[in-house]
Amino acid sequence: MADAERIYEMMKKSIETYDSDAAVAAAELAIAEGLDLLTAVEKGFANPIRELGEAFDRMEVFLPELTLGADAMKAGVAVLEKALNAKGGKLKSKGTVIVGTVEGDIHDIGKSVVATLLQANGYQVHDLGVDIPAPRIIEAAESHNADVIALSALLSTTMLYQRDVIELLKNKGLRDKYFILVGGAPVTQAWADEIGADGFAHDAFEAVLLLDSVKEGWGK
Amino acid sequence: MNFKEIAKRSETGPLTEAKDFLMKSVAANAMRLSKEYDITWDGKTLINLDDDMADRCFQAGRELFINTGVYSMNSSRVVKFSTSEVDDALRFTRSQVAMGQGKDQVCIHHRQVEDARKPFIFCGPFNANVHEDMFVKLNEAFSQEKIVDCLFFPGYLNEVDGQLIRPTSALASRAAILYGQWAREAVRRGGRPGMAIAGHAVMAPGEIACTNEATGLRSTDPRAMVLISELQVDDVTLTRTAYYLAYGCPIYMAFTPLIGGYGGGVPGSSVVAVASFIASIMLGGEIVHMGPQHMKYKQQTNLHSLFLASLANQAVARNSNIIATTSHTTSGRPGSAQYAYEFSALALTAVTSGSNVSGPRPAEPLGNNNVSPLMGKLFAEVAHAAAGMSRDKATPIVEALYAKYKDNLDLETAPKGQPFEELYDLETLTPTLEHQALYDQVKEELVNLGIPLL
Ligand code: B12
Repeated sequence: MADAERIYEMMKKSIETYDSDAAVAAAELAIAEGLDLLTAVEKGFANPIRELGEAFDRMEVFLPELTLGADAMKAGVAVLEKALNAKGGKLKSKGTVIVGTVEGDIHDIGKSVVATLLQANGYQVHDLGVDIPAPRIIEAAESHNADVIALSALLSTTMLYQRDVIELLKNKGLRDKYFILVGGAPVTQAWADEIGADGFAHDAFEAVLLLDSVKEGWGK
Repeated sequence: MNFKEIAKRSETGPLTEAKDFLMKSVAANAMRLSKEYDITWDGKTLINLDDDMADRCFQAGRELFINTGVYSMNSSRVVKFSTSEVDDALRFTRSQVAMGQGKDQVCIHHRQVEDARKPFIFCGPFNANVHEDMFVKLNEAFSQEKIVDCLFFPGYLNEVDGQLIRPTSALASRAAILYGQWAREAVRRGGRPGMAIAGHAVMAPGEIACTNEATGLRSTDPRAMVLISELQVDDVTLTRTAYYLAYGCPIYMAFTPLIGGYGGGVPGSSVVAVASFIASIMLGGEIVHMGPQHMKYKQQTNLHSLFLASLANQAVARNSNIIATTSHTTSGRPGSAQYAYEFSALALTAVTSGSNVSGPRPAEPLGNNNVSPLMGKLFAEVAHAAAGMSRDKATPIVEALYAKYKDNLDLETAPKGQPFEELYDLETLTPTLEHQALYDQVKEELVNLGIPLL
């Protein structure tokens, strides 16, 4: 067990030093040593990245560090996941989330923070980027078999497109397939209610808590 | 740099993914250069007094920009510039630009650190949401303030004809036309028909429809382009730049370094800010606006933003002819004393550091028309009073002001203030007695703190 702790420590260190190569090496070592891979994901990668997310929230580290830390985590987890799959196991994902900033809106930072923290907290995230028309968002949700569609809008004018995504989903008869989460500076709970979204969060942390609290029901 | 070169390079530059540009080019180099050039901040100092560090910050920003270039988001290409192109552009930057017409014509200058010349005042709704019904009156009230040199961003229209505006729609173009007409009508009513209007109507190529020599925005009105943090530009902005350059408008290029974002903390973000100043002139900017934004506070009068505003402005003031102006967004809102403490703190910092001023506006306006022309006047008076003031003299005043609001930066709990229609008598377009009393009281406080407001 001492060995396992040492490897978790290496994984943690790889996140703290934003080192993808070290994360991969630690993951390979975990496999070679025959550690329980699910525990390794949780203890080695998930816990440290959550801590990094909290440090980011306190602005002790900044966006590049958060991004690099998340990249290291992804690299390490990918190695563990491959080994798990080979053994017929499966990495538990809390759910698949499509994230994007709506059409006409190029604000990307808040959306990226939401995507990174969701990923850090065990969600499978597909970040479509910014200025994404409603049909493309729906297409991506369908093709990735998503559970959640998370829509960012930073302009009071582009909030309209959050409404349009929901309307288009309804028209296509797909509305009930997805949990629709909306956010961004001008977005409020009242707006979310008005357009019939399922959830609203002020920030990325709240978004994670919200999805965690409602995810029963769409585990696949 | 000739615009045709920009247009060409945005189609032919190296194809790169946005994330690689931001992380490998911007973030990595900003981190490296801020260390190499020893750019530091102790987390306490409000106004930079270290001239050598300001000079190093300029060199670091110049080197960063030569490394990164600008990312053209829609084509995914990097627009790069050679060292000699950058240095030529810096050498030939114009240090003054005229705007407006007739007796209302004004001129903005490059300023030095602790310059005795008065800063130029861009003041107006600054893109706060303005309701179509209040658009003319609100802007008329701003134009009545003679201390305002240029009416600044007459307002963000959410709807026209009672209809919400979808960006890039036909309605957005109609909104742009009305925006130009209403803004011109406002300054005409205010008795300043030739007053310069810094315009940025809607986020669409159709925005150029606000232009009309007789009834809208003119070739003598500065037009705003906004770079995308960090060091990125989109097709809409380039399209508008192409048109406005050809039409002869002064180009007001704005950027928002996000402290805590891809530039990292204050040192790295200051280097990114200098690089963005240079990017702005390379893309055709003649007046360059910096919004010293903090990612967490989401406003510009926090400690981090104050220091960045001082350092980056000093770097540019001391090492180039760039005409700089600093944006002012606050947590407190008009109708509260905190609003004035905040914009005064940043104005003293920016003006003594060699900048002109643009603003003020609550970072998170509540509802429509959440701005005050009378508070704009006070802002301008403070900015004028800071002309010729030393940084040493400004520092304790900024400290005292900062102490008054530092515990109340949270946008949710900061004073909510009131909209224009509650702060003014709409028939006479004069402040209510209560609003005037707030102005008188805060002004006295500011005088007592040592700001020479005559
Ligand atoms: C930085 C910034 C920019 C940068 C964007 C850079 C980039 N790469 O993203 C630039 C300079 C390009 C820019 C451009 C513009 N901007 Co801007 N911008 C901002 C600013 C200052 C900060 C935004 C930011 O990144 N914050 C940091 C992140 C971490 O916070 P956040 O985005 O709020 O995200 C958090 C939450 O909102 C939430 N969240 C976000 N998305 C989602 C999604 C979901 C699903 C959930 C659950 C949560 C969630 O979680 C995030 C993390 O905690 C805001 C001011 C503000 N107070 O927010 C204005 C602001 C959003 N912009 C504004 C405007 C007007 C514009 C422009 C139109 C300006 C102009 N005239 O050109 C253009 C529009 C361009 C376009 N087509 O989109 C206005 C919008 C006003 C309005 N009425 O809608 C604001 C509010 C400023 C203001 N008060 O005027 N902008």
